[in-house]
Amino acid sequence: MHLVKDYMMRTLNSVCTTDDVEDVIRLMHKTEMSVLPVVDWENNFLGTIYSKNILKNVLPEQYGFLETRRLLHEVNQAAENLADIKTRDVTDYMSRRKLTVREDDKMNNVADIMLDNEESYLFVVNEEEKLRGYISRADLLFYLLEVGEE
Amino acid sequence: MITTVTLNPAIDREYFVETNDPGEHQYIYEDADIKISPGGKGLLSAINLKNMGYPDVQNIGFVGGKQGLFFEKMVQDNNVTTNYVYTTNEIRNNIFVIGKEPVTYTHYNDYTYRVEERDVDELIKRYKRGIVDSEYVMISGSIPEGLEFDIYKRLIDIADERDKTVYLHASGEALNQALEAEPKFVVPYFKHTDKILDEEIKTMDDYIKAGRKLQEAGAEYVMIPFHCDRLVFSKDEVYSISAKDFCLLNWLGAGEAYNAAFFDYILNNEFDFVEANRYAGAAALVIAEKRDIFIHEQEEIEDMLDKIKVERVE
Repeated sequence: MHLVKDYMMRTLNSVCTTDDVEDVIRLMHKTEMSVLPVVDWENNFLGTIYSKNILKNVLPEQYGFLETRRLLHEVNQAAENLADIKTRDVTDYMSRRKLTVREDDKMNNVADIMLDNEESYLFVVNEEEKLRGYISRADLLFYLLEVGEE
Repeated sequence: MITTVTLNPAIDREYFVETNDPGEHQYIYEDADIKISPGGKGLLSAINLKNMGYPDVQNIGFVGGKQGLFFEKMVQDNNVTTNYVYTTNEIRNNIFVIGKEPVTYTHYNDYTYRVEERDVDELIKRYKRGIVDSEYVMISGSIPEGLEFDIYKRLIDIADERDKTVYLHASGEALNQALEAEPKFVVPYFKHTDKILDEEIKTMDDYIKAGRKLQEAGAEYVMIPFHCDRLVFSKDEVYSISAKDFCLLNWLGAGEAYNAAFFDYILNNEFDFVEANRYAGAAALVIAEKRDIFIHEQEEIEDMLDKIKVERVE
């Protein structure tokens, strides 16, 4: 039987509700993750913060659909917007939706949850809802590859 | 969850060549002649504990740059939970060149790693929430540039506030200052300086004096490596833990196996300081007698227990 614990990344790399947006961006950049788990001071999983959600809050609505001469202005506008919100708390931009799996869950369940919810990462928690790691879409694909080879 | 802390990790790169000829091109064609592994005292103990069957073992610390991602993946391969603060500066690389004929051992020890103030603040935050599920915390190894020498003291104080027991394996000024926080278990390492608490140690008397001084300075229990043996200091007594009839093949990893096995004993038995050290000594002996640097199961340790001699020294 294929279980989450055989494919998951065991990591507590995370941000806390009291961290600010700049902390999130720096961690995302260094770990090459576009979504991070948000925990409290007891390491309880509270939700997630997505890079796209931060971007949505800083990019002007027309961004990407502008003629070149207007683009520089819009980039500057986005940088200014980010400067305004970078000290704001994670709580302002996080999603409190808690889609999680457990280490002993079957990989089949992961496929269902991931595909039904269009999530690229599912976070793994223990029975006390404390963060233990994550499983990615690539892990899911690798699992499917292994099943196919069997 | 068992927590180990490694503030100055390294990627260990070992290259095995027929003859180490400095100044000449040397070609390596076999995979077996290149070994790349994650290094750091706390981390190696974490891998041992994971091998012994503990489901949740984490390693907290710094990793740096793009090589930090590679380092973390290597740690993940050992199923240890990572909790790393990523720094902008690249992680250290320790290079070992091992010649087979004649046998030579060349080590380039990389001391370039540096962390910034922001990294330290982040580490403290991660550590505070990382240790919530741990009864015991093992803090082990050297510290990188950019950290104040009181870092271990700070970490022990935080653990203490949260009712966690600390096992400290450290050296030099970081150890000296950490003692103020009164860690329960202290293992000094001092090969590079031959000094404990700034005093040179040569004779058995020096070692015993040093152990007592560590206790006076704040440690409750002390374990000092004494050549191939260990001197262990309980509240009132000093014991020697030694091995009989053994063949030393390798000492790399023996200290980390000792620390891990000490944890294994106290987590599974009623606290008995001397017996925990006997068991830890047997674990170190397992490593000393094989080429592998890790314990793979408790049975290996139990098989060695008969070879460990415990004698009261004082």
